[in-house]
Amino acid sequence: MTKMLIATTALVGVLAAPVAAQTIGVSIPAATHGWAGALNFHAEQTIRELGERYPDLQFVLTTTPDPSTQVSDLEDMVATRNIDALVVLPFESEPLTDPVRRIKESGVWTTVVDRGLAQDGIEDLYVAGDNTSFGRTAGEYFAQTLSEGDKIVVIRGIASTIDNERVAGFQEAIEGSGIEVLAMEHGNFNRDDAFTVMQDYLSRFGEIDAVWAADDDQAMGALAAIEQSGRQDEMWVVGGAGMKEMVQRIQQGDPQIPVNVTYPPSMISTAIELTALHFMTSAPITGEFIIASELITPENAENFYFENSPY
Amino acid sequence: MSTATTDSPKSAGWSIDLRVLGPILALLALVALGMFLNPNFLSYANITNVLARSAFIGIVAVGMTFVITAGGLDLSVGSMAAFIAGLMILVMNALIPVMGAGVGIILVGMLVAIVAGLIAGAINGLLVAKIGIEAFIVTLGTMGIYRSLVTWLADGGTLSLDFAMREIYRPVYYGGIMGISWPIIVFAVIAILGEIVMRHTAFGRHCAAIGSNETVARYSSVNVARVRTLTFIGLGLLVGIAVIMYVPRLGSASASTGVLWELEAIAAVIIGGTMLKGGFGRIWGTVVGVLILSLIGNILNLTDMVSPYLNGAIQGVIIILAVVLQRKRSNSR
Amino acid sequence: MTAPVLALRNVTKSFGPIEILHGVNFDLRPGEVHALIGENGAGKSTTMKILSGYLDATTGTVELDGQLARFANSDAAEAAGIVMIHQEFNLAEHLSVEQNVFLGREIRRGLLLDHKTMQKRTAELLARLDCRVSPTARVSTISVPDKQMVEIAKALSRKVRVLIMDEPTAVLTESETEVLFEQINRLRVEGCAILYTSHKLGEVKRIADRVTVLRDGSVVASGPIDEFTEDTMATAMVGRELSDLFPPKRRGGGEVVLEAADIHVPGHVSHASLTLRRGEILGIGGLIGAGRTELVEAIAGLRPRTGRVTLFGKELPAASVAEATRRGLVYLTEDRKGAGLLLEKGMRENLTLPMLSAFGRPLISRRKEEEALTRAIQDFQIRAGGRGIAVGNMSGGNQQKLLLAKTMLPDPQIVIIDEPTRGIDIGTKQQIYDLIHRLASEGRSIIVISSEMPELIGLADRVLVMHAGRVSGEVSGEDVNERAIVRLAMGLGEGSKETAA
Repeated sequence: MTKMLIATTALVGVLAAPVAAQTIGVSIPAATHGWAGALNFHAEQTIRELGERYPDLQFVLTTTPDPSTQVSDLEDMVATRNIDALVVLPFESEPLTDPVRRIKESGVWTTVVDRGLAQDGIEDLYVAGDNTSFGRTAGEYFAQTLSEGDKIVVIRGIASTIDNERVAGFQEAIEGSGIEVLAMEHGNFNRDDAFTVMQDYLSRFGEIDAVWAADDDQAMGALAAIEQSGRQDEMWVVGGAGMKEMVQRIQQGDPQIPVNVTYPPSMISTAIELTALHFMTSAPITGEFIIASELITPENAENFYFENSPY
Repeated sequence: MSTATTDSPKSAGWSIDLRVLGPILALLALVALGMFLNPNFLSYANITNVLARSAFIGIVAVGMTFVITAGGLDLSVGSMAAFIAGLMILVMNALIPVMGAGVGIILVGMLVAIVAGLIAGAINGLLVAKIGIEAFIVTLGTMGIYRSLVTWLADGGTLSLDFAMREIYRPVYYGGIMGISWPIIVFAVIAILGEIVMRHTAFGRHCAAIGSNETVARYSSVNVARVRTLTFIGLGLLVGIAVIMYVPRLGSASASTGVLWELEAIAAVIIGGTMLKGGFGRIWGTVVGVLILSLIGNILNLTDMVSPYLNGAIQGVIIILAVVLQRKRSNSR
Repeated sequence: MTAPVLALRNVTKSFGPIEILHGVNFDLRPGEVHALIGENGAGKSTTMKILSGYLDATTGTVELDGQLARFANSDAAEAAGIVMIHQEFNLAEHLSVEQNVFLGREIRRGLLLDHKTMQKRTAELLARLDCRVSPTARVSTISVPDKQMVEIAKALSRKVRVLIMDEPTAVLTESETEVLFEQINRLRVEGCAILYTSHKLGEVKRIADRVTVLRDGSVVASGPIDEFTEDTMATAMVGRELSDLFPPKRRGGGEVVLEAADIHVPGHVSHASLTLRRGEILGIGGLIGAGRTELVEAIAGLRPRTGRVTLFGKELPAASVAEATRRGLVYLTEDRKGAGLLLEKGMRENLTLPMLSAFGRPLISRRKEEEALTRAIQDFQIRAGGRGIAVGNMSGGNQQKLLLAKTMLPDPQIVIIDEPTRGIDIGTKQQIYDLIHRLASEGRSIIVISSEMPELIGLADRVLVMHAGRVSGEVSGEDVNERAIVRLAMGLGEGSKETAA
């Protein structure tokens, strides 16, 4: 992903040419949890930078707490701001599919980010992380590191397609490794809920070798519960999405947090930049950009540490 | 109303006992179920966990009982808790260079939480009691305001307490005396005080009178606006105290802190037998209600009995059952 | 004599183990007004509810047109033309008059409501009742007597054969009562059978053709009205000879204890003044809506006001009930159920509510409260099923006594009593009159507001009369008579000397 960004930035220098003023609408979920907060951070930063670079580009950013508000936001954008392009991270796939298709059919250039629509081929550009890869990457690490008969517990996120894909990827990867999954409960991408679930796992199971928390907020909660029980030496925890604090601890070689898996919130920047380029350059930009998850290890951790990000 | 004399002098007596027993029976049934499903259920660690995690909602729910008894409602407590937690962390982090990491900062942080709670409660209370806007609308508004404020303070991310401070502050949640952790002690003390205030002081009696019939209370020279404001201020104070216990647990606050606390607290109050329309409230019932809610989650986590997708459904069924159990008896009159 | 349209034959009614109606026989005939009278708790309401299908008889039968009738519920009875008007109105406060009249039986045109027709029909009904309320007015905004008229209009809108009225005049002034009587007469002529209850025996004597007296669940007397006088009715109800209803008057009149000057309550009272002396009973008369209640509520700190109130020589600040109570002035509301008592709470909680700080601080002493309740039960002769009974389940008379006890708890020097005997039977009335006199002879000063003329005349040393928010005059001594008060209440002040305002 990083590579591609560099490439496109280079392109800009060469091909930038004055065009008539264009308006790009950006619609993303509100900052209700850490990852979404980082998403907002990156979106705002990118818009600010692009706005300075291309005075002809106008941006409209909306953040929404639920799918139906998002639909209303999109309608407003088309009706009152007369957007030429749309960058949308659908809150949920199904309810947003039809509204986005209608906007696309009205002639707006459309980029869909992360959560794919329920129908293929609507959008011009699709930029996404890969949830199956997110789960698989973590699962492969578990399969390599643990041996047959080792016991793990899983804290899942909010029941959703994302969560299902991650868990499916994880389960596929550990299949045949002989690792025993003791339990899977939902921590809802929330520290407090994950803390509670982990406390109860610790009461319930006398032996746990590792925890897959599927998200760094959940991992933070799980770590606090493990610390309370005094069983830090018994198990390690893998979260996901590359939270600043986690990356830092991996860098420091914390044995409790050996690795992490990326799911970069900066993908929104990629999406907005590519959409801007569609207008500002003549480079053909369509298709899919899937950003696979990478494993963060103590060796490569410094590449994943972003000082200014809130996440 | 002359029939009323004739047809119901007998009603009061025996129905009350079953109303009292309803929530307790539900609690005992859950404990029995827990023991049956997992031998670790009654372990010291699990009991401590359940009681300690009940403490936040519990402390808030005690205050909520007064608000509801006086005919009010407060939807803002969850957001208020998140906001106060965020504010407290920011202030404490900011003071480290000035005061140096130490107990002093924690005391300042606690003071911030309490003062912020009092102010937030007073804002709700004055808008409801003096300006006369419905509690539902006022607190729906402040709910949104505090939730946005904490998101804004955290820049959409998570506010984390400095690690050095976290180590000093930790014992407030994880420590205790004689094996009983602090949150449990604080919760118990507040519940007992709340029960005394509700049952044996003029303030508690005035709350019930206002919730029962505001006009009667006003005509009986009860200062309705003052009492009603005080219920919200008291709730704000208790939210502050709950936050003091909450922050040392994870050392962080974010936009997802305290989500749905308000509904859990209201549910606990109602399960405990307090009337949602006001006029009658009991603190011990609220405590039972909080424990019921915590135990449901705990038991579901301790077993694989049902799909985790159905956790919410199980909770819903038990909440409704606990209330039906007491209402059925009281309707017989 | 015509055959009865609706009748009870040997009806008993038990609630649990307690039988409260014992073999009641009762006939309602077309074109006849049959008054059912009795003290609170005598079984009047139960009898009415059995007749109108709200309750089933335990034994015995209800006969409609001579046939055995069994109403599944009140709707079935209404379908048969039997309509009951409750004392507490059955009106949806937030709906309009017209919506209330046709509630549940809306006239439709296709799928939609036919507002035009319903409004027209409502207007016709109201015109018949001489009621000037607009069909589109919201019920919550109209006066209590108008609500009564809406209830009657509602009954008239059905083909009513039997109309059962539970104390319809309790909330009406005399002139409004006249209008109601005209309507009753009209219905009587049309062949409607009417059951009428009232505590006002003078009215019964005037309007009824036949009287049945209930006492403790049994019929103790029944017959054509000509066989009864007010005295014989009262004696039958109470079961003992009633001495003179009002104790002999005594001259009050020590120093001035309360002085209200130029009181103004927006929308209700303007430029009203009054003075009250130690040991005096001051009456306030006037029509409902004349601003009497608003004036005294303003004095007692329950309403915002301008003007000056001086209590024992010191000014009393506006809008502070607690301050007025502390300085010895209390107000007993006319709205016993809405503003006086917490109906779902017990007697103890109600009694001590205004004075909780006197029962221990910070913790309330339950023992002291129980003692106070015991004293109140004795002093005010409260008879309730048990100490723990919810106040809403007590009879009106006992509620009123409890309210008096509660009001007297702070040991006030000035007591303002609004409609002291509304909806109360004659035996209890007498007790309350005695009590008011006792308070005055102890040196307390009393203000009594009443819509019952005999009550004002019988109790008060001096009567202030209000009309349309102003004090229209004052009568005292020998001049306290019905004619003078009515003239002032109608705004015809010339007949009497004007002293106030």
